Amino acid sequence: MKPKRLDRQRRLTLLSLAGPNILFITAFCVLPLLVLFSYSFFQVDFVSIIREPSLENYLRIAKSETYRGLIIKALVYGVGIAFICSIIAYPLAFFIAKRVKVYKAALLTLLLIPLYTGDLIRIFAWRVVLGAEGVLNSLFMWLGIIQEPIWVLLFSPFATTIVLTYNYLPFMVLPLWAAVEALDDSYIEAAMDLGCRRIAVFFKVILPLSGAGLVAGFLMVFVLVVGDYLTPQLMGGSTGITVTSAIHDMFGAAFDWPTGSALAWLLLVSMTLFVILVSYLFYRSPWGRGIRRNS
Amino acid sequence: MRERGWAALRGYTFLVYGFVYLPIMLMGLFSLNGSDIIAFPLRGFTLEWYDTILHDQRILNGLLTTMSIAFPVTIITTLLGSMAAIVLTRHEFKLKFLFLGLLILPFFVPKLIFAIAQVTFLSDVGIKKGLLTVCISQALIILPFVTVIIASVLIRMDRSLEEAAGDLGATGWQTFRMVTLPLMKNGIMAGAFISFVLSNAEYTVSYFTSGRAQPLSVLVASDFRFHLSPSLNALAMLIVFFNILIIVTSEWLRHKKVQP
Repeated sequence: MKPKRLDRQRRLTLLSLAGPNILFITAFCVLPLLVLFSYSFFQVDFVSIIREPSLENYLRIAKSETYRGLIIKALVYGVGIAFICSIIAYPLAFFIAKRVKVYKAALLTLLLIPLYTGDLIRIFAWRVVLGAEGVLNSLFMWLGIIQEPIWVLLFSPFATTIVLTYNYLPFMVLPLWAAVEALDDSYIEAAMDLGCRRIAVFFKVILPLSGAGLVAGFLMVFVLVVGDYLTPQLMGGSTGITVTSAIHDMFGAAFDWPTGSALAWLLLVSMTLFVILVSYLFYRSPWGRGIRRNS
Repeated sequence: MRERGWAALRGYTFLVYGFVYLPIMLMGLFSLNGSDIIAFPLRGFTLEWYDTILHDQRILNGLLTTMSIAFPVTIITTLLGSMAAIVLTRHEFKLKFLFLGLLILPFFVPKLIFAIAQVTFLSDVGIKKGLLTVCISQALIILPFVTVIIASVLIRMDRSLEEAAGDLGATGWQTFRMVTLPLMKNGIMAGAFISFVLSNAEYTVSYFTSGRAQPLSVLVASDFRFHLSPSLNALAMLIVFFNILIIVTSEWLRHKKVQP
């Protein structure tokens, strides 16, 4: 076949493979998001929606300290949980990548099981464990360590933090593991042979060389925690008011779709800005050298 | 690194896995406990809770709905995911980063925001919520996962086999049909299994788009918001066991070496 015809055929193949995906996602994900965006400019009057575009919803949210606080709280939780996850995950990823040989696949599968099992069952399990009449409290009381149940275990920021960390830990371990796995052992050995202390090896060799995995995991956990709405709702009790539960209320009982849409879009935009900022800073930093060289 | 350091790391790894599996194991323990209060001390062994849940007509109806969502979702995501994975691993083009961005969009957008976007969209277009709408929105959420799983198999595949087929005069379709497809078959199956599991587990999106067709996850969520019961433990354990079976099979398929 002539190269030109081959080229055309390849392009046709590409189009027929990518086309259905592009159509499907555009029609059922991009378009709904745009419809949601359009709602953020409408107003609500009792039980009907007035389709006269204005910026009023955004202005109201910008003026309200509560809404601003909720968005900031979500972002802070996202960064915080991602940070906790990265601290827990690093030694684990390092051990699985560099020490485990036979059971590597088994250990990684064990991490995937809770991840695929879904947030509902994971949260349910934690409620069983942490509840006021739950497993942990009753165990302590039975053993005589405490006399009264510890109420803060459930429906508190503490419970929310534990369950969020638990829920999204695999999303941090897996990219970190992949990054450490790809890291050449001889760098670590060379540093050790030259008298580098263990902590210094971590900060000067391992961390810079696995930075891409860390950032990938960090951003994934961040995005998932910011968008999580089940955990604070089911674990946080009255302290669990988050921006996502506020949005949920506006689409449920409160029937204020326009304000809900505006809040949702503000959250989406602030998330995106944060992700772009972190990616850019990483790309420009000395750690991002590996990525810059490849592209 | 010295042995003591490794020993400490091993202990630490056990600890983290313990943290990951402790809640599930406690749930399992109390699903077999002969008391309807979920608390220590244990009161003896029973299978009563499993019996209760397996004879609950409401739960069985929910399961039926879940299945009639999971099968179409699996078919849609496996087909589209295979196509997307081939595009990502076998084609180079200028706007590839845009295509990648579009693919991970449903993962990036928080599920709740995705769900309410569906609600506004459906109300504007005038489509009634039901099986069809849950299937489509679940498929979107699950598609990124399936694509990554199938792409992970395609990336590890030896490209020279496909090139050899091309050099020997096979057309693009023939190469795909006789070389690529047999080699990526396990990846496709692994993706399909995971899609099935994820569809069963999906709650947020189903809750907003299912209307009257309430799948199991939505039924159970409304149950346990108000009260915990050992029979819910039993149900959760059954789901966990079922998932372990499917996920282990899927991972085994994904890593299996294919005989050419």
